[in-house]
This record gives sequence, C-alpha cells and structure tokens, in this order.
Amino acid sequence: MLLSPLALNRWDFDAAAHLLVRAGFGGRAEEIEKLHALGPAKAISSLVDSQPESFEPPACADPHSQDELRNQLREAVTPEQKQSVRKLLNEQFRYEMSDLTRWWVTRMVNTRAPFVEKMTLFWHGHFATSGQKVRHAYKLWRQNELLRQHGLGNFADLIKAISRDPAMMIWLDTVQSKRERPNENFAREVMELFTLGEGNYTESDVKEAARAFTGYRIDKDNQSFRFAPAQFDSGLKSFMEKTGSWNGDQIIDMIVDRPQCARFIAGKIWKFFAYETSDGKLVDALASELRNVQYDIRPFMKQVFSAQEFYGTEALNSQIKSPVQFFVQAFRTMPIALPESSVLVFAFRQMGQVPFYPPSVKGWDGGKSWINTATLAFRYKLARQLVEGIDPLEIGLPKPLAMDMSGIRPATTPALLVDEIITASDRQQPENVVEKLFVRIFQCSSKFELATSFREFLSNRSLPLGDATIRELAALMMTTPYYQVT
Amino acid sequence: MGAALSWTVPVFIQQTCTFMHAQALDSALQAGTGRDHPVLVVIQLAGGNDGLNTIIPFEDDLYFKARPTIGIPKNQVIPLDNGIGFHPSLEPMKALYESGNLAIIQGVGYPNPNRSHFRSTEIWQTASDANQILTKGWLGRYFDNCCRGEDPTVGVVLGEQLPEAFNANLPTGVAISRPGNLGFDRTSDPSEAHLFSELNGLEPDAMSGDSIGSLSGPNDSGLSALEYLQRTALDAQVSAERIKRMLRSSKNEVPYPRNQLGSSFGLIARLIAGGLPTRVYYASQGGYDTHAGQANTHKRLLSEFSAALVAFCNDLKRKGIFDRVIVLTFSEFGRRVTENANGGTDHGTAAPLFVCGGDVNPGLYGKQPALDKLDSGDPFYSIDFRSVYSTILDNWMKAPAGKILGREFPKLNFV
Repeated sequence: MLLSPLALNRWDFDAAAHLLVRAGFGGRAEEIEKLHALGPAKAISSLVDSQPESFEPPACADPHSQDELRNQLREAVTPEQKQSVRKLLNEQFRYEMSDLTRWWVTRMVNTRAPFVEKMTLFWHGHFATSGQKVRHAYKLWRQNELLRQHGLGNFADLIKAISRDPAMMIWLDTVQSKRERPNENFAREVMELFTLGEGNYTESDVKEAARAFTGYRIDKDNQSFRFAPAQFDSGLKSFMEKTGSWNGDQIIDMIVDRPQCARFIAGKIWKFFAYETSDGKLVDALASELRNVQYDIRPFMKQVFSAQEFYGTEALNSQIKSPVQFFVQAFRTMPIALPESSVLVFAFRQMGQVPFYPPSVKGWDGGKSWINTATLAFRYKLARQLVEGIDPLEIGLPKPLAMDMSGIRPATTPALLVDEIITASDRQQPENVVEKLFVRIFQCSSKFELATSFREFLSNRSLPLGDATIRELAALMMTTPYYQVT
Repeated sequence: MGAALSWTVPVFIQQTCTFMHAQALDSALQAGTGRDHPVLVVIQLAGGNDGLNTIIPFEDDLYFKARPTIGIPKNQVIPLDNGIGFHPSLEPMKALYESGNLAIIQGVGYPNPNRSHFRSTEIWQTASDANQILTKGWLGRYFDNCCRGEDPTVGVVLGEQLPEAFNANLPTGVAISRPGNLGFDRTSDPSEAHLFSELNGLEPDAMSGDSIGSLSGPNDSGLSALEYLQRTALDAQVSAERIKRMLRSSKNEVPYPRNQLGSSFGLIARLIAGGLPTRVYYASQGGYDTHAGQANTHKRLLSEFSAALVAFCNDLKRKGIFDRVIVLTFSEFGRRVTENANGGTDHGTAAPLFVCGGDVNPGLYGKQPALDKLDSGDPFYSIDFRSVYSTILDNWMKAPAGKILGREFPKLNFV
C-alpha cells in the first residue's frame, strides 16, 4: 500500500495554513494565501525544494576560539589560577552558546526556506547532542550546519556524516574508543535511537559495531574528523549475521538496508510533522515510500506533505507546539522584535526546550510532555509579554546575568506594532480586527466558532479601537489552550 | 476540517468538566487532607557532594593520606560515633543527631556507577539501573500509583522546573519559583478576565472555595491535546490559588538563612503548616561540583545547608508537625577519595545521605566505605539508593514500593 494524495477539492486556505505551520513555522495571511493559490503540488515544492540560504556565522564560528584559554589552563600552576581560567572558559562557552541559540532562532525567523530549518530542528531532536557534554560551541554549530546540509539528502549519507561529526563523537564517546577497548555508546545509540529502535538488534551487534567505529578522532588543528588507522580494529566482525572486516560506513549501510530502519525513520518523521500514530498500515506505507525513493529525504517529505492523512482530523490542531515552534511562529507571524540572547535562552529553559541542550540523546519527548502547570503558566506570561514587550524582570530573568558578559540587564523589547497589521479603517470595524489577528495567531481562517467569542469581546468598545485594546485581544488569543496547538 | 470545527468553546468546556467530574468520583487512592498524612521533603545537593568530607572517618589514616590538603583536621571534626564525625559546618545538626531526629545512611550508591552528573542524576531521579533508561521518575511513579485523581499540588517543587523524579503519566506537580509569580496574571479588565476564564475552562467562582478537591484524572491517554491543555490550565490556576491561600494563613516561627535554600525551606514549612495536601516537596541546592579549591566552597555550602535544615526542623517543632515530616537529602554521586592537583575532588560514587524528621529511627546505617578497598579510586557502595527509596515509600508513605520501583529492595529501618 502507498499513501494517497489529498483530494484537490480539499485544498483550501486552512490546508495551506496547516502545511505552512507544520513544514515551516507559519506565516502571515498573504503568505498562506499565496501558498493556497499555487495548488498543493507547487505549494509543497515551493517549501520542500527551497535551498539553505547563506547566513552570517555565529560568534563561535572559529575552531580556535578556545585555544587561548586552553593554553592558559595548561600553563596555570596554582589551583586558584586554574580555577580562574576555567571560570573564563565557562563564561566564554556560555556566551557563545546563548549567541548560537539566538543565531539559529534568528535564522528560523528570517529565512525564506523555513522548511530547511524545520527539518534541521527535526534532525537536532533526532541526533540529540548537548552542550552539557560537548562544551564547545564551535562543534555544535558545525553539527547544526551538517544537519542543514545533509538533512534533505540521502539518509545513509546523513548517518555517515553524523558518525564523523566531532560534536557527536564527543557526545557518544567515539573519540574515547580504542582498538583494545571499543566504547559501545555510539554503536548502541546509532541502532537504538538513530535507525532501528530498541529490540531490533542484539547485544552482540552492539559489540561488533563498536569495534567498527574505532579510529574516529578529532584533529586538534582544525577541530574536524581525522581517521586514526592505528586505533581502528580491522579484524573480522560478525554483524547482523554477516562477517567481514567491516568499517563504520559498512555497518551503517547494513543497518539502513534493514526494512525496520525505514519504518523507524518514516514513523518518527511522521510523528514530528503530522501526528503520532499506532496505525501499522500507515507506517508501512510511509516506509515503502521512503524505500521507493532510496532514502532520499526530500522526495519523501513531498510524499508526506501530499498525503491525505497529513490533512486529516488526526493531524489538524492535534500537536502541542514545541517551545521553539511557539517562539519562532510568534516572530514569523507578528511584528515583534526578537529579545536578546539571555532572555531567549531563559525563556526556552522555562518552557522546557533549550536548543543545543536536549535532555538526553533521546531528544525531547515532545507532545504533552511540553506542558505542566509551570511551563503553561510561563507560556501565558510570555505570550502576554510578547504582545506588550518583554520585560526581563517581569518574566523572572535572574540577576546577576551570568550570560551577559557586559553585566547589563537586557532592555525591554518594544510592544507589538499594531499599525503594521491593523489599518486605520480596520480600527473602525472590530470584525476586521478579529479576522486579522485570528488568522495570524491561530493560523486558520476565522470561520471557526472560537472567533465569535473574540467578536463579542470587542462588541461594545468605543471606536476607533486603540492599540491597548488590540494588544489586549492579541494577548487573550495567545493565552488559550488553542494557541498552544497547531 | 472536522477537528478544527470542533473549536467550539461552550461544548468543549462542558465536555471537559463532565470528564473531570467523572474522574473525581473514582479517584483518591491516597487522598490527603493536608492535616494528617506523612510528608516527604527531598533536598537535592546538586553537583556531587563530597561525602567523605561531610561524614568524616577521622580515625582512618588513609583518609588523611588521600587528602593531605583538603582533609579536615581531626581536631576540627565534630565526632559522632564509631570514629566518624561531621564536617565543622554541620555543627548546627549535632543537636538533631543527639535529639534523635537524624539518621545517617552511609555508603549509598548503586552497581556500575556512572560518573556523569547528568546520567547519574537521571539514575537517582528515575531509580533505574545504571544501564537502564526510564522515562518516569520515582516520585512520578508514586503519584501515578497512589495519588491518582489528587490535586496537582500533591507534589510541589521549589524552583523553576519539575525535576525528572516527578515525571509521571499524569501532569502532576507544581513548580513555585516565586510565590508572587504563581498562576496566571490577572487583568483588571473584568470582561477580559471573564473571556480568559471561559477560553481556559476556568470558573472564577469555584477557584477560591475548598470544594475542588480532585482535579487531575487518572490517565491522560484519552485526552486530546486541547483537553490536556485545558486541564493543566485549571490545575495551574487552582493550585496557585490554593498555595496563595496557604501562604497567607501561615507564618514561619523561626528565622531562616537568607539564601535560596533557606527561603525554600521556609516556604515548605509554611505550606505544610497551612495544610496544603502535598505529599512530596522538592528543593535543591547547587554548587557541589568542587573540582578545584574545594575547601572554602564546601564549607560555605554545608553551612548554608545545615543552617537551613535546622531552622526548618525547629520551625516544624514549634508548629507541632515535626512528626509528620521527613527530609531526605541526595546527591548524584560522592567524590573521588584522593584529592586532585587543584585542591578539589573529581566525580566519585558512593556517599552518605541524611534522613531527618521528628519520627525517624536515628543513628548510623550502613558501613562507612572502606578506604583500603576502592573501585578505580572510589569507595564501593554498601546500600543501594533504592533501598532508601523503598524504605521511605513503604514505611513512611505507605505505598507499594516494589510496584513503584519495579522490584523489591532490602529495606532499612530508619523510619
């Protein structure tokens, strides 16, 4: 069985909006309208075929940024000296990490290829690597670029690239792996979390694969992958019932050859972009599509976004926005300014998702786990602040600011620029104001009954509607369960 | 567009309320009134507390050999029993020990110890084996098993985030970072407040009464994302109102140290006294990762800790509720026996922990780890930390420990 595409007569404004919000981070009414007018095939292609744009690199984009302090640490004699150099290293790292986070968020907000960033976000959660252990912003940035570069190509190539990625090599200990004592961490996770899922390999497969992923080292001169033949175990390995002197790439080829790999990856992609399903037939169909295109992610994603199930009742408004989606969507759909990096990182932490800091190699659980009483209360507070201007004090940013090297408290961001979205004549027509805000905020047409409540809210206000009233309405829309889902 | 069309507010609210009412009826396995049930307070000493400089084997030459610069001189140690004693910063806790309110469990750890902060914390939080990944926390599993249908404030965290130990099937647990910051911002505009309540399924009149006892249903699996969100919004609102009310009705009877841990302990005492139906409180103190220049840092941390703990105990005694409360401390690991070249210690394994309360069986439990028999530089554990959890769950919380922890662990008798 293969997937069946969405019937043309069901391609409407709301279907286009759903596509834009899931394949990207949503958009303004004009963008949705434009996508709708293209028809499904061209709309999907306009998103999926877009190429990564060039973008100014982050502050950490220098492989040698830690060199000076590392040298100082080596030369430090007394414990006090060492401690003070470590403190500087730490401060530099934290500064670079919060800058890197803001760099990526800025990219997600401003890019003309939002699908590329969304897919990068998916892979970041899939190959979840954390600064907690990697401790080098440069390497995490390189990994992020790797995911962007390879994330829409062939899946086997992506896994091979990831196996040589310095951040991953530190994260899952391949750099520590020795011929005599292979480290099993990467070998296990590459099967358990990246390709097959638990129960689809044996402990002996893990041990044998670990031997194949030896000899992976990082070149200190340029912080890139280096193969160390002396550390590689070139002996015979018996992996998944095949014996040979396998290397890491050959192991990956054998893994990707397993039908289970297609099921695992296709199911996970579907969960991220559409919804979590226990429908075995649907997963089989998705897996067949993935194999039919020889694991080429770009054509596969076109199939995903064309499928009628992608637009079905199980998909629409069923997904709780991740904190990243919550944030980026707000900035892409409304004229509000991005706060400083320390505020951004703080807000992500309060909501339970700091990019580059997944809680474990499993990534973020997502779905309902995004929401507890604390994270929801924070989302509501933040939503109101996004509209009225983010006051760091008001959202609870602690002082002193370890993140901010200057020690100056970040400024309050400007409030939502009402004039950019509501015209003078709209202010005389409350239903226009509801319509315009509703589409931006909920990413669907205001034909839904929910809009009635907001019309009533404005019904006895004096005209023309002032900025304060309009911001109040926007904040109200955003402090609802409905705003938390897409 | 069927799903989207169901964004019909009144119907949605009606369904959710019916659902919750039905859940409330068959819930409450361990309903707490807030006045009589046992309370557990968990204090995380984050970063890996140096156990060997907390409970010190001051008569063991190997201790001084391993720690020529950071070892605590014999004449400064506060002797307890069996050749071990307190770090001088724990002086305030001596009275607790002597009055029979403190149990010290020595050599607590687990097999195949992991020396990563992150992973070892996860192991302690989820009560897993070293090679096992569990997604639910040990306290979360307690909530799921014993507190279904309870008020979300069955677990309260002083801090910004719920710890992994609270991960549960249910959205259980409330985090308080600043009491002034609880729940949702109220607007002064009544029509706006009204619409906010309506859209979130909150009934403003019902909020302040005692009538709402059981809100969280037993299982979220049947809830759609929207229903789940609405229920969490209600939980947040109700618990915020309730906590504010408790805080208004209760004061601290003794001064607390003016630091984060002190104010966390102070708030916990007020919430217990106020009658919040909470079974588990959780707070943490960070900074124990003393790789370098340990002496001063550790001295300061332990002073803060002991002063706050003792204030808390005295406050509870004055309030007459000390018998209802136990405090459990833990840290993800102890530290290496031999000091490093930076006047600090690196990540280790087994370490002692404290259990403190009006109704504990005091004294020393377990063996002080032998310093002549080490596992790559670290002491072997003698008590599995899950034995401690198991004892607390079974003997103190009256909960089925074996079911919650996945298997039976030998119990101790400190409670």
